[in-house]
Formats: sequence, structure tokens, C-alpha cells
Amino acid sequence: MNALRRNATIALAIARKDALAELRGRQAVGSTIFFAALVLLLFGFALGPDSRRLAEAAPGLLWLAIVFGGLLTVARLHQLEADDGALEQLALYPVDRRAVYAGKALAGAGAMLLLGGLLLPVVAILYGVPLGAAWLPLVVTVILGSLGFAAVGTAYAGLTVRMRAREVMLPLLMLPIVAPLLLAAVKATVAAVAGDPFGELGAWLQLLAGFDIVMLIAGAATYGFLLED
Amino acid sequence: MSALWFVIAGYGVILGGLAAYAITLVRRLAHAREVSLRIRGEAEPAASSADLGE
Amino acid sequence: MKTRILGFAALLAVLAATVNGLFVVPADLNQGDAQRIMYPHVASAWLAYLSFGVTAMAGIGYLVRRDLRLDAIALAGAEVGVIFTAFAIWGGMMWGRPVWGVFWQWEDPRLTTTALLLALYAGYLLFRRLTDDPHRRAARAAVVGLIAAIDIPIVHFSVIWWRGLHQGPTIGDPGKILNPSAPPLFVLALMSMLAAFTLVWGYLMIRRYQLARTEWQIEEHGRLGRISVARRSFSTESVSEEAAP
Repeated sequence: MNALRRNATIALAIARKDALAELRGRQAVGSTIFFAALVLLLFGFALGPDSRRLAEAAPGLLWLAIVFGGLLTVARLHQLEADDGALEQLALYPVDRRAVYAGKALAGAGAMLLLGGLLLPVVAILYGVPLGAAWLPLVVTVILGSLGFAAVGTAYAGLTVRMRAREVMLPLLMLPIVAPLLLAAVKATVAAVAGDPFGELGAWLQLLAGFDIVMLIAGAATYGFLLED
Repeated sequence: MSALWFVIAGYGVILGGLAAYAITLVRRLAHAREVSLRIRGEAEPAASSADLGE
Repeated sequence: MKTRILGFAALLAVLAATVNGLFVVPADLNQGDAQRIMYPHVASAWLAYLSFGVTAMAGIGYLVRRDLRLDAIALAGAEVGVIFTAFAIWGGMMWGRPVWGVFWQWEDPRLTTTALLLALYAGYLLFRRLTDDPHRRAARAAVVGLIAAIDIPIVHFSVIWWRGLHQGPTIGDPGKILNPSAPPLFVLALMSMLAAFTLVWGYLMIRRYQLARTEWQIEEHGRLGRISVARRSFSTESVSEEAAP
């Protein structure tokens, strides 16, 4: 039990360090959110001006924007250390690798939760979709989606951070993996906004949660090897 | 007359926002001037206040 | 001192124009009280576009003259402009909800153009923070500001053509208030709000310019301090080399 508590403390410490670095950084957090909002605006130009078509497409567009913002976010969280040469030190710490992974994944999930939360009202306004009534299932969906994306993203970002073509490598590797997450998140969002007429919201949320658990375990198990490399 | 709420929200945010920005600007300026004066200490402040145009 | 007087004049003017717009001027026959939002909304929009014109021109001026004071003007224009753009969009949304039924509409070229304006200049401001050297920053910002300014009319016209291909509802045209045949009371209300906001704009621009110049001086001092520290350590090295046999 003691080992678990120690690992939890380490994970929280790492998550806190990342969060502080993010907030103090060169406006990188704000830039990512700004970018995702811009993507939503551009989708409007691409698919508009028919407001009905935009309203139908809104859940998909929301999650695409979250995914694009998320790619930047998980890359950034590893770039912090890579730039300073701190990755080697992180690898040398005599701590359980899983705790390091958990901390970074937590920081990533937190950042994406913030991103998703801020994009919800933007989607509501730009695409004319009333989100107020369904806010609770929507928040749950964003939480589960963020967690799953961060779980995968932390592992892959750790993998690609020192590679040469990493800007394209990370999305190239990640996007096929998160396709089921995207699918389930969009379906859950559609169901939530429509008031869940077919009762399928629960099933999609379960799929999301299952994805999260599997990916968190896989990420935690492999992260140590990625850091050693 | 629910349009009234939107009118109030419209005016309120715009005017309040302008006031907030103006106040923030004045504070930032006062702070920066204080820092600038402090670090320049010996140097001639006279030449630059013409440029600052107060 | 003069700026402070301007500030107070602006405050009084805004209060007067607000009272006029909210209580004195009658409500519109079609749009009702929602019409009142038009006054600060249109005024904000005009000043937003004016600000960005200033930024673009000051940027060009910098590229020609290399005078950092012009860059300070460009920065002031961009920051003040972003503020007024955000308010213009907010006003547009607050007007749109009671009149159109929606907060946002893609077919209105002014609204969508203004949204892109906000994005362009928010990007400009973020971009400025990435360069430390004042002259390089000024030159890069000038290019970004110039391209952004060129883009705006293109966006505006493309949205108008975009709308033309799609039958959309045009209930409630915000441009109505700018129609020369609009009731004189409305035009007067708009003009007075515009005049008041312009005074506010002038005050904010002056203060933001002063702030930019003061911050530049602090930056310069820091930079010169680092140079002199480097020089001193260099000269003490050569002194000790001579001293040692």
C-alpha cells in the first residue's frame, strides 16, 4: 500500500509541475486553445453557410478540434523537458516509471479537459447548437475522451519526442489509435445533445471508459521502455 | 420584454469592459513608469518624458 | 495632464451617449429595444477597423523609417483593436439573439469578417511575444499586420459571394441603421455614440502607446545592462592576462 501511495504522490507532483510549467510558459496553452477555436471557425467556412448542416456536423467538428488541439497539447508536454535536456534526468529518477506516466497523462488530460470545456460554448455559439440541457453527459464525455486521448498521447509523445520528423510522426501514429475514441465520443455527444432518444448514450460512454482503461494500462506498462530509449 | 436583457448585457459588457481595460492600462503604465524610474535612477528622466508625452 | 482631460471627456461623452441610446431615443418599430445595441456595436466595429488600419499603416511606417515609436503605435492599435473587435462581436451576438433568434449567423459578412479580424490580430499579438529583439519584432509584426490588413477586404467580399449562392433569411439587416434614409434620431444616436467611443479610443491609444514606450525603455535598460556586464567581464579578463607573467 505504501508503494502505491508513494507512486501516487510522485504522479501528482509531476502533474503539478507540468501544469505550472504550462501556465507560466510562453502562452502555449492559450495558443493551443486559440488554434482549436480557429479550427472550428474554419470548419464553419468550409461547411457553411447552411446553419442546419453545421448544426448536424457540430459534434464531429467539436471532437476534431479537440483532437487537433490535443495533438499539440501532448506534444508540448514532452517538449518542455526535451528542450531543457531534462528528459534524461527524468529517465534517471529512481521512481516507478508508471508514476511518471500517470503524472504526465494526468497533466495532459487536465489540459485537454480545459480545451474541451472552452470549446463547448464556442461550438454552441458558432453552430447554433443548444448545449445547456445536456451539459452533464457532455462534460462526462469530454472527461472520458480527454483521459483516453491523454493516455495514448502521453505514451506516443514520449516515444516520438526525440525523433526527427516528430511533428508528423505523432499524429501519424496516434490518429489510427484514437479513431475508436473519436467515434465513440462523437456518438455520445450526438446522443447527449438530442436527449438520448435511443438510449445509446450509456453504451458509448462505456466504450469510452473501456478504451481509457486499456490505454492507461498499456501506456503505463510501456512508458518505462520509451524513456530508457 | 426579454430583448431588454440582451440590451443590458450588450451595454454592460462593452462599457464595463472598456472601463476595465482603461483601468488596467493606467495601472500597468503607473507600474512600468515606477520600474523605469527606479532602474534609471541616475539617468536624465527629462529627455524621455517629452517622448512619453504626459 | 492633457490625456487625463481627454479621459474624463471620453467618460462623460460615453455616459451621455449611453443615456441617450438607452432612454432618450425611441425603440425601433421592427426590432424594438434590441435596436439600442446597435449604437455601441457599430461604434465598436468602426473603431476596431480604424485601429487595425493604424496598425497596418504604422507597420509600413516602421519598415520604411525603422523608428520604434511607430512600432509602439502599431502595438497599441492591435491591442486596442482586439478589445473593440471583441466588443463588436459581443454586441453583434446580443443584437442577433433577439432579432435573428440566433447568437451567430454565417451569412452576415460583417459578423464573419469581424470574427476573422479578431483571430488575425489575436494572432498578431501572440506572435509579437515570441521575439525579444525589438527591431526584429517590429519588422516581423509589420509584415504580419500588413498581410492581415490586406486579407480583410478579401474575406469580406468572399463572404458576400458565399451568401449569394445560398438562399438565406435576411430578416433584420444590421446595415439598416447605416441607411441614409434612417430616422434622424437614430442616426444622431449612432453618431454621438461613435464620437464618444472615438474619444475613448484616443485615450486608450495614447495610454497604450505610453506603456509600450515605457516597457521598451525597461527592456533596453536590461539589454544594455547585460552588454555592459559582458564588456566588464571581458576587460577584466584581459587585465588579468596582462598582470600574470
